[in-house]
Amino acid sequence: MSAILLTLPILLPIVFGVLLTVCKQLGSGPRRVVTISALLLNAALVFAAYFGPASSLTVFRLGERLPVYLAADGMGGFFCALAAVMYLAAGLFSQKYMEHESDPGRFNSFFLITLGMLNGMGLAGNMITLYLFFEALTLLSVPLVMHTMTKEAVAASFKYLFYSIAGSSLALVGLFFVYNYGVSLEFTSGGVLDLGRLAGNENAMLIASMLAVVGLGAKAGMFPLHGWLPSAHPVAPSPASAILSGVITKAGVLCIIRFVFYLVGPEFLRGTWVQTTLLILALISIFMGSMLAYKEPLLKKRLAYSSISQVSYVLFGLFTLTAGGALGGLLHIVTHSIAKDALFLAAGALSFVTGKTAVADLRGVGRKMPVALWCFTLAAITLIGLPPTAGFLSKWNIAVGSLSADIGVFSWLGPAIIVLSALLTAGYLLPISISGFFPGEGNESFPGEGEVSFTGDRKAGALMLAPLIVLAALAILAGVIPKHLVSFFEGIVNAWF
Amino acid sequence: MVTSLHFQVDGFRILYISLTVLLWTLSTVFSADYFGRAGGTRRYHLFSALTLASTVCVFLSADLLTMFIFFEIMSIASYPMVAHEKTPKALRAAETYLAVSLIGGMATLMGLFMLNSLAGTLEIARLKDACAAVAGKPGLYVAGALVITGFGAKAGIFPLHFWLPKAHPAAPAPASALLSGILTKCGVFGVILISCEVFRADADWGIALLIIGVATMLIGAATALFSVDMKKLLACSSVSQIGFITTGIAMQNILAEHGGLAVRGTILHMVNHSLFKIVLFIVAGVVYKGKHSVDLNDIRGFARGKPVFAATFLTAAAGIAGLPLFSGYISKTLLHESILEGIHTLPQGQAAHGILQAAEILFIIAGGMTVAYMSKLATALFSAGPEYDGAKRMKPATAAALIVPAVIILASGVVHALPDAIAGAAEGFMHGHPPEHSVAYFDPGNLSGAAYSLIIGCAMYFLLIRKLLMKKDADGASRFIMPAFKLPDLEDAVYRPVIAAFTSIGAFVSRIAESLMDRFIIPSAIALGAFFARVAEVLLDALVSALKKTLLRPFKRSKFPGRFFGKYYSFVRREAGRQAPEQVARSGFSVSLLLLGLGLSAMLIYALVVIIAHS
Repeated sequence: MSAILLTLPILLPIVFGVLLTVCKQLGSGPRRVVTISALLLNAALVFAAYFGPASSLTVFRLGERLPVYLAADGMGGFFCALAAVMYLAAGLFSQKYMEHESDPGRFNSFFLITLGMLNGMGLAGNMITLYLFFEALTLLSVPLVMHTMTKEAVAASFKYLFYSIAGSSLALVGLFFVYNYGVSLEFTSGGVLDLGRLAGNENAMLIASMLAVVGLGAKAGMFPLHGWLPSAHPVAPSPASAILSGVITKAGVLCIIRFVFYLVGPEFLRGTWVQTTLLILALISIFMGSMLAYKEPLLKKRLAYSSISQVSYVLFGLFTLTAGGALGGLLHIVTHSIAKDALFLAAGALSFVTGKTAVADLRGVGRKMPVALWCFTLAAITLIGLPPTAGFLSKWNIAVGSLSADIGVFSWLGPAIIVLSALLTAGYLLPISISGFFPGEGNESFPGEGEVSFTGDRKAGALMLAPLIVLAALAILAGVIPKHLVSFFEGIVNAWF
Repeated sequence: MVTSLHFQVDGFRILYISLTVLLWTLSTVFSADYFGRAGGTRRYHLFSALTLASTVCVFLSADLLTMFIFFEIMSIASYPMVAHEKTPKALRAAETYLAVSLIGGMATLMGLFMLNSLAGTLEIARLKDACAAVAGKPGLYVAGALVITGFGAKAGIFPLHFWLPKAHPAAPAPASALLSGILTKCGVFGVILISCEVFRADADWGIALLIIGVATMLIGAATALFSVDMKKLLACSSVSQIGFITTGIAMQNILAEHGGLAVRGTILHMVNHSLFKIVLFIVAGVVYKGKHSVDLNDIRGFARGKPVFAATFLTAAAGIAGLPLFSGYISKTLLHESILEGIHTLPQGQAAHGILQAAEILFIIAGGMTVAYMSKLATALFSAGPEYDGAKRMKPATAAALIVPAVIILASGVVHALPDAIAGAAEGFMHGHPPEHSVAYFDPGNLSGAAYSLIIGCAMYFLLIRKLLMKKDADGASRFIMPAFKLPDLEDAVYRPVIAAFTSIGAFVSRIAESLMDRFIIPSAIALGAFFARVAEVLLDALVSALKKTLLRPFKRSKFPGRFFGKYYSFVRREAGRQAPEQVARSGFSVSLLLLGLGLSAMLIYALVVIIAHS
């Protein structure tokens, strides 16, 4: 019975999603009920699967040593919980938002199915299972990007697909090597490599690990395979962008965590050129993302560039291969998911009501939509990493971890770039709030004539604003009361080293 | 680990919290009068309350991390107070304020990271010993300099003072009073912590800080001298007075064990400056309410016929100018004494000795400049001007908000037990010791310092201000004019261009990095794929045609298998010809399959090599 519990979080969203596809003539009311109840039920099931009696389940075998195998551990449970919360917020928001888009039924069904895949990734007990769900997630999330079916959306979703497949084929290389040199593919804190069998082939294994992490980094938006992100996020509907940025990029991070800390092991990579290269790639992504976001005039594209930068904070923290840095990285997963979800939803609410997508057109929007802009501001402050928000906590831990790590020049260069990027983050997010609340006439930052007037009778409504408020509150709360979160992550991280 | 906040109280902290609460009360009392029925006051009071709470927590914090947390909250929460008026000027000033706060804050954060990793603690009580263990390390100086960047920027210390003469005047008067009176002291508080704990008795640090402090003192006073805007003059004066305070902190570092006078002077001048500025900015607010301008030429004669207004203004002006019988005299005398003490204790011939001697002279000159610019302000307020209708009299509450601090200024100038008691209670914070014998403030030596300043000030007033900065109008009234030359504005001349250049270069480099994949690697991969496909096509087509001619002769009519690879090749070649990323992406499916194929074949080749090598 308890083993079956593990499959439910995967099956339930898929079943509900397929149901929505099959019953096309469903009205918007029942569709809403189905979607929201699926999301709520999922949250309960994830909770049950994690806190239920520890169990594992072999679903079927691909080969003698390749079982498709589910197990709930802290890391996976955390990931499922994160997905559940973010999907709930975006799902509630999407109910009203998607009414004005074509075919909300299709959106809802793929929305739910991807949640099932994410739960599968969280509950996967070995790498092959994770890989299967990861590939399925890639394919099934394409319809979310493609939803509007405009030329740009189709092009972007192909780009997304291309980058993802290229990335996961690279990951496959690493997987083969781990399969060859490891004891098993089952996730074990600290790694599974059989050092005796590996002897003499360390370099090949290092190259394979490097390729795998870079490949998995495609989903996480890590340089050099980041290219899909700024194309795909802006064209997707806002709830989908929120999910893409808030959760699906973290699926890439989860894969990297599983690969580095549960298969290869941090000891194997510490001090090697692979670690150095990965640190450089993460730092390039951090700087490049922030810089391009700073120069980007379109709000959603700006947020997409910001995701490249912020997810690489997580990766930088992890790649320091210290307990402190990894703790900061895990905390930043939470921070970025909450803040970026809130930012994308707020951007969605702003464009839903005003019809504007460029930053410069949102001047004075604070008078019309004070609540949305307040939430935007709080999420922005979180993302910048100003105290007392969750962002400060995570960046502090990443920097402290980095300074304690034996990684040469990067131990201080990393924090310096993080601090610089925080300034750029302030530079690309705060002006939106400032000009929204204080639309001065002839303000130099926003040349133009006076306040932009907002016409139109669309209202955001409670269903759109409530998730925003909750997310903004969570972003602050996670920073103010971090004790439980920190001790939970410490439990996970300490097992790695 | 950042999971807990640490607070503590001691004499200095209690002193500054009391002062914060007092000033906030006075400012808020006045704000009811100042804002009247204007809109946006709910927002103002919300952020004012937030700023108050975080400021109190800054003064209460027992470790630098806690302090930084509340320091940042304070920076952000005070932004809407500066931007309150929403005029373009106010918004630009507020933008500058926010930018300086954020950049300074992040520099401080970086410094704290380094300090934490070097000293192993950020707890103030343990910093002194922890830093003594790593004293002299270059990293410690870098960390200290970074930490002090943010605190010094908030305090208005040169070269990060430039935002202050813009932001303080742009804010509504009650906010300016708090910005000048209290928020700058949060920055000073940080500078003190770093100087007294991290660089305890470090003379090199002290000399560097002294040079910065003297520069701040002079630059602030000079810009105040040339201002024709009352609030700007007061803001520049704040910069100058913060320079005096910084000088005191520096002397405390240089004198180490013997820095008792410097400690007392620093603390008392902080307190005095807070009190001067609340009075002077409320005065400015009252002027603005009456005249809707703070231009010195528009407000002429405003103080006439207003005894309370005039008396409180003159008290604060005399205090800030350092006239005997007012509190400013006490603190400036102490600071001056400490410089003299430094000159006596340091051996002659050392560079430090010369610097101290120069500092002493410049200190007196800066004091003279203070006298001069306050005289200028007084001239404006008391000279004959257009009749003021007097319809709007000061409200009793506003009068009270002026009288309370003015009385303290006067009382502590006359009854020296009061400043001695305050300093005695607070000096432990800066590791100061009570002086062996009480300071005779009115002995000839001490009075002569004030007298020199007064003489220099009068000379400047009559020779510089009256001759060069005032001009007779056609109607006989004299007007204040801006000097013909303009002091270069650091913000427009240096900081903004540097930041713009940095972001342009950064964006350029980032664009190259961003397009690396879409514009270079993918097209190259496609070209490579096309080449292999071409080779495969030629080989296979040759094979097929050979087969057709020989073995497959009976099937000649059928279309099997044709030039399949040729078709694929021409598709790939077409795609490679147009290299726009969107088009490359549109062919995503086939290209990714191609790359997958390439990857798989590379792996197979590798596997073959391995098998052959092993067999």
